[in-house]
Amino acid sequence: MTSLGQFYPVDSPVHSLDPRAKIVATAALAVGLFLIDSTTGLLFVAAALVALVAASRIPVRTFLRLLRPVLFIVALTVTFQILFSREGSVVLEWGFLEVHSGGLRLGFFLALRIFLLVSAAGLLTATTAPVALADGIEDLLSPLKRVRFPAHEVAMMMTIALRFIPTLGDEAEKIRGAQAARGADFSEGGPVRRARSLIPVLVPLTVGAFRRADELAEAMESRGYRGGEGRTRYRELRFRKRDALAIAVSVLVLLVGVML
Amino acid sequence: MRLELRDVHHVYARGTPFQVEALRGVSLVVEQGEVLGIVGGTGSGKSTLVRHMNLLLAPTSGEVIVDGVDATTLGKSGLRRRVGLVFQFPEAALFAPTVEEDVAFAPRRLGLEEAEVRERVSETLRSLGVGDLAGRSPFALSGGEKRRVAIAGVLAMGPEVLVLDEPTAGLDPASREELLALIRNLREAGVSVVLVSHDLDEVAEVADRVCALQEGKVRAVGTPAEVFYSDPAQAPATVRVASLVNASRPGIGEPVRLDETLGALRALPGV
Repeated sequence: MTSLGQFYPVDSPVHSLDPRAKIVATAALAVGLFLIDSTTGLLFVAAALVALVAASRIPVRTFLRLLRPVLFIVALTVTFQILFSREGSVVLEWGFLEVHSGGLRLGFFLALRIFLLVSAAGLLTATTAPVALADGIEDLLSPLKRVRFPAHEVAMMMTIALRFIPTLGDEAEKIRGAQAARGADFSEGGPVRRARSLIPVLVPLTVGAFRRADELAEAMESRGYRGGEGRTRYRELRFRKRDALAIAVSVLVLLVGVML
Repeated sequence: MRLELRDVHHVYARGTPFQVEALRGVSLVVEQGEVLGIVGGTGSGKSTLVRHMNLLLAPTSGEVIVDGVDATTLGKSGLRRRVGLVFQFPEAALFAPTVEEDVAFAPRRLGLEEAEVRERVSETLRSLGVGDLAGRSPFALSGGEKRRVAIAGVLAMGPEVLVLDEPTAGLDPASREELLALIRNLREAGVSVVLVSHDLDEVAEVADRVCALQEGKVRAVGTPAEVFYSDPAQAPATVRVASLVNASRPGIGEPVRLDETLGALRALPGV
């Protein structure tokens, strides 16, 4: 039910921020994290993020569950970093494998960085409704419209894609159920057999996705949709003082982090 | 077989803001060889209920019992072969290049001999009146044909209970009649059928017993006459007509099926 990128609808100061402010702050953090190279700096940013998660009123356990899929990638990266880095003194030796102190330090750093990065992105998507997120991205990209970048179309594609993730998820679940009722088993056998057992799900899912795309296009056309020009919004984004403040505070936190 | 649900509760997305209690203590029996109609408005829990009949969903609390044995001890594949579940819009799960292969999916999964599989496939397709489509692509068929092929895909397992979730939704009247005829034939052959529908008229035509769900609970269960006459506001056209006529011309009784109702009306003195 809960997965990375899912919106968690509760009322909180973080939820009510302008999506543009949250996107900018997240982007700043993504860059800033790679400028910070002291442990205290990273921990300082981590503390700020913890405070934000608390302010977002998302239960900590739910939030951590959102991050679970990333743990594997973190573990993998760290393992490689530790095993193949040759900096500093040798801490451990086992056959041809050597663990160096520099590698440990780098591995720890990398893990913390990825973790913070994903937490920030997860917080963004958990506190921002998909539609608001797409609106925010469209606004942020709109200066590029001058060079004929189709900002509205890109945002619309993102909105539709995001909108249809749960729909396709439901559909996949239904088809899985229907095939399970016909004796399909998705958990037995080796990787090849398991992949093969997905064919009865993937084929109808793809066919259904194309059918839906057709239907949606027709529905949009029959309601007079014709792209971004002159189009108004039902929900106007309002950039308020506290949004500017949120960006300022994020940048400040990052600057302090870099200096620490 | 006798399929029993005892005090089944089901809660979706428990412990999240999306939590929904879809079933609130449903107890129900599907007797051997009967047609049980399940009716109720959208969101009354019909589809959730039928997914418990082959344990595609496990009850949050409560039990599913098959011939007196707790169904969870039977093994899922065994149970699913005995209780065939046809989803709403089952044609959405067609996947094979030909109709024949699609219908053969379930019998092959049972590990039957190839000759036996072919025999079952052609027999099932024929019983549904689509024997001539075996070599076609399931994606190139009409809506009614797709529906029948998809139902054949479950029926080919030879289930003892066939559960049909809204099998006639979106079908034309002729295809609908054929499906109802199929249900009658299955009952003749000793197969129990659970027919979920919000078309009360079709339930009235084929059901031996009716269960009315409302907000995840059983509102009424019994013969079609008992259930439909208990609330004529939510009854098939035949029952509403008979109730109205009965108000001015008593003595019409409680007919449910169309032929019964016609007979009762014609038998009224002076008609």
